[in-house]
Amino acid sequence: MRIVVVGNGVAGMEAALAVRRRDADATITVVSEESDHFFSRTALMYVLCGQLSHRCIEPLERGVYERLRLTRVRARATGLDPEARLLTLADGRTLAYDRLLIACGSRPRPAPWPGSGLRGVGHFVTLQDLAWLEAELHGQQSEPRPPNEWAHLSVSAADSPYGRREVAAETRGRTCGSPLVIGGGLIGIEAVETFLAAGRSPHFVIREDRFWPNPISAAESAWVAEALRGHGALVHLDTHVESMVGDGRGNVDRVVTDKGPLDVDCVVVAIGVVPNTEWLGEAVERDQSGGIVVGDDLQTSAPGVYAAGDCASVRWFDGQRRPEQLWYTGRDQGRVAAQALLGDDVRYRRSTWYNSAKLMDIEYTTAGLVGLDLPGESEWFYEETGAVKSTTRIVSRDGAVIGFNFLGRRWDHEVLIRWINERRSLAWVLDHLGAARFDTELVPPLVIPAAAR
Amino acid sequence: MHLQAQEGLMSTFRTGWRSRSAVAYGLSLLLFAFYISMYFGGQYGLPDLWQPLAEAVGLRSKWFVYGLVYTVWMLIGAAWYLRQHGNSRYNQARIGVNVAVQVVLGFTLPFVMPLFGGTEYYFSYFWPLKYDYLYPHTMWSLPWYLALYGVVMAVFTAPLAAVFFGKRWYCSWVCGCGGLANTFGDPWRHLTSSSTASWRFEKYAIHAVLGLAVVSTGVIAMHQMGMGEGTLLVPIAQQTKIWYGFVVGSILSGVIGTAVYPVLGPRIWCRNFCPMAALLGMSQKLGRFRIRVKKDMCISCGNCTTYCEMGIDVRAYAQRNQSFTRSSCVGCGMCAHVCPRGVLRLENGAWEQAEDKQLQGLSIIDY
Ligand SMILES: Cc1cc2nc3c(=O)[nH]c(=O)nc-3n(C[C@H](O)[C@H](O)[C@H](O)COP(=O)(O)OP(=O)(O)OC[C@H]3O[C@@H](n4cnc5c(N)ncnc54)[C@H](O)[C@@H]3O)c2cc1C
Ligand code: SF4
Ligand code: SF4
Repeated sequence: MRIVVVGNGVAGMEAALAVRRRDADATITVVSEESDHFFSRTALMYVLCGQLSHRCIEPLERGVYERLRLTRVRARATGLDPEARLLTLADGRTLAYDRLLIACGSRPRPAPWPGSGLRGVGHFVTLQDLAWLEAELHGQQSEPRPPNEWAHLSVSAADSPYGRREVAAETRGRTCGSPLVIGGGLIGIEAVETFLAAGRSPHFVIREDRFWPNPISAAESAWVAEALRGHGALVHLDTHVESMVGDGRGNVDRVVTDKGPLDVDCVVVAIGVVPNTEWLGEAVERDQSGGIVVGDDLQTSAPGVYAAGDCASVRWFDGQRRPEQLWYTGRDQGRVAAQALLGDDVRYRRSTWYNSAKLMDIEYTTAGLVGLDLPGESEWFYEETGAVKSTTRIVSRDGAVIGFNFLGRRWDHEVLIRWINERRSLAWVLDHLGAARFDTELVPPLVIPAAAR
Repeated sequence: MHLQAQEGLMSTFRTGWRSRSAVAYGLSLLLFAFYISMYFGGQYGLPDLWQPLAEAVGLRSKWFVYGLVYTVWMLIGAAWYLRQHGNSRYNQARIGVNVAVQVVLGFTLPFVMPLFGGTEYYFSYFWPLKYDYLYPHTMWSLPWYLALYGVVMAVFTAPLAAVFFGKRWYCSWVCGCGGLANTFGDPWRHLTSSSTASWRFEKYAIHAVLGLAVVSTGVIAMHQMGMGEGTLLVPIAQQTKIWYGFVVGSILSGVIGTAVYPVLGPRIWCRNFCPMAALLGMSQKLGRFRIRVKKDMCISCGNCTTYCEMGIDVRAYAQRNQSFTRSSCVGCGMCAHVCPRGVLRLENGAWEQAEDKQLQGLSIIDY
């Protein structure tokens, strides 16, 4: 059987590995424009600041492609003919398949403002974005570089998000001193954190009146904003960008907002990502967001064609279909897609929502339904001060706990989800909270005073 | 305060002296020169720099000059370590105890005790690391309670403690070699290779040295107890004593173990050659210590693998939801500390969830 996978991100690679584990004979071809090797997109920020090298963010040993006979094609796929079962590449070559997995991920949502095309304005999503930002911030890229870094440029297309971006620092003759980040989400805060680590005081322009308003509450947001400001970030809340102005030589010089202009020399636009699927045209059904519509078996509207990861609109726990732009769901979908590719009758089922993140130095864990303002829900909140600073927010409804939000401590989401499924009461959960602890050793446990219960 | 998470971002790979630049190689050469002059000065035609210096400043032997330098390096390194990774109770406690052990048991007591008519004895080193503490001649020269202490610690207490708490109780809390690696050597912890090839080498090398330690101690003990007079045993035992001391004691643990810090990372000796680590590693493998992995939370970023000073590919386990016990793990806690998603936890609870121990022999090859 000829299996072709478009994308060697987490969804595509997990699927390719799982297919090979079961089927020693299938020909597996992995088409990827961005890089020769699977890398961890979630770790781009660590390469930018120098905490990790390029090599460190490759989750698999490099020999894995040869050892498991995964043929790599480094090129942009530009079209799909589901009738003829042919994938077209940017240089006109075609690849025939019996089963196709599309795992082509996300691309950054483009900046809508006048002047967004100026030199010094970019995103922070792809390896090529990283190369650009390294040059803007550090004046040079870190060594060692990914192998064949620019090999795809000759087999790419104008609408590719993996192109090379011009560097304003080069034309100016100095690295950026006053960067600005637009967008108060996770990618935005990661960019801000790396700028802070490099000794800059970045502007952080957020449209909403507080940081990350849906997932975290006002009090939780305020703590994160305080941490950002404490480290030197210039946080502008409730601020809308109107345009960007150049310096006459094509470099960005100013960002005009509804609260006034800001002098800048580098802008990271982090206002979300969109499915990276324009190249598919009408070949498979896509929804309004651009996500590839898939059934519970991850099959698209075209027979033999499956989709997984950021580019697929899957069914969520609330019954709606939209893309899930998460690492662990991408991995999960990759595993399920592999079974589907091999002909199993499988269903992708999204379990209870959970996630974790690190907002600056503050660790965040969530599980269940939080921040949805469901009718009849009630919230219990406790702020711990002392040796450990933490916040605990527990949402209940109809006498049972339905969601958790924690900042400042580590928790085991598996235990939390079990409690949600067991419909435990708030009092019971508070009595047993210790069982979900995942703090490192010797950290004093969370003690909730009786008065706060 | 954010006790437990790595605070701020590190610029490790953008710092020349930490990323195998010419400066790093230069530093390594300086350390080589220091060690060779310290270990072999006065022999092989090399000038003796340190003994005269020691006597000039009132220290009994050059080894106290070395002890002083070693302790000062450790103190400076501890300050660095706590600045980098200090926002963790575990890290604070571990480094605090380790430095205190070095200052008191590794330097002050051995120096001071003889001044009051006592014996120069290192309470924090045991056989097979301090291999001569089980040689009969050494034991006879010690007061009986010290000789007994050495035997009990080596064959009973140390391995048993590793069964219950992991080898970390020694390698990351007590041992001076581990202490130096974790303080003075911390800036280079990311240089330890995590390749499969380095793992394979480690498994052969460290168990070979343990075998050598057992055999050489046996042969030397037989000789020192007067067995085999007039037979080949005598020259064999004499040569074994000289060569084991030279190769393992001086070259591997001293010169190579420390001088390569800036280019190969700080645990080359501990990981590949220390017989004590091999012994405690076996105990650990049977015991309660393990690293627990939180299910489906790993983002494969690689911080754990990169900052593991023992070259364990922690990520390979984490991204497969596999809790594990590796015999080389010294329980430094750094993988859990740097993980940005709080995926890992060091625990002494492996026996309670025994099914987790099944797949520990995981090889990255069959990934
Ligand atoms: C900065 C950043 C931080 C993040 N942090 C987190 C986090 O902490 N936790 C979390 O859960 N998620 C995080 N995410 C999201 C997470 O990285 C993604 O959900 C995940 O990487 C998606 O994987 P994927 O395999 O679907 O796609 P991708 O990783 O995007 O891979 C798609 C691949 O497809 C290839 N490709 C695309 N189009 C074509 C084409 N036309 N032809 C050929 N090849 C093509 C590309 O080469 C690319 O490598 C983060 C994302 C970013 C950008
Ligand atoms: S696995 Fe973790 S605790 Fe063990 S040695 Fe490596 S970093 Fe330290
Ligand atoms: S366990 Fe943590 S540090 Fe290691 S790869 Fe996973 S997320 Fe990164």
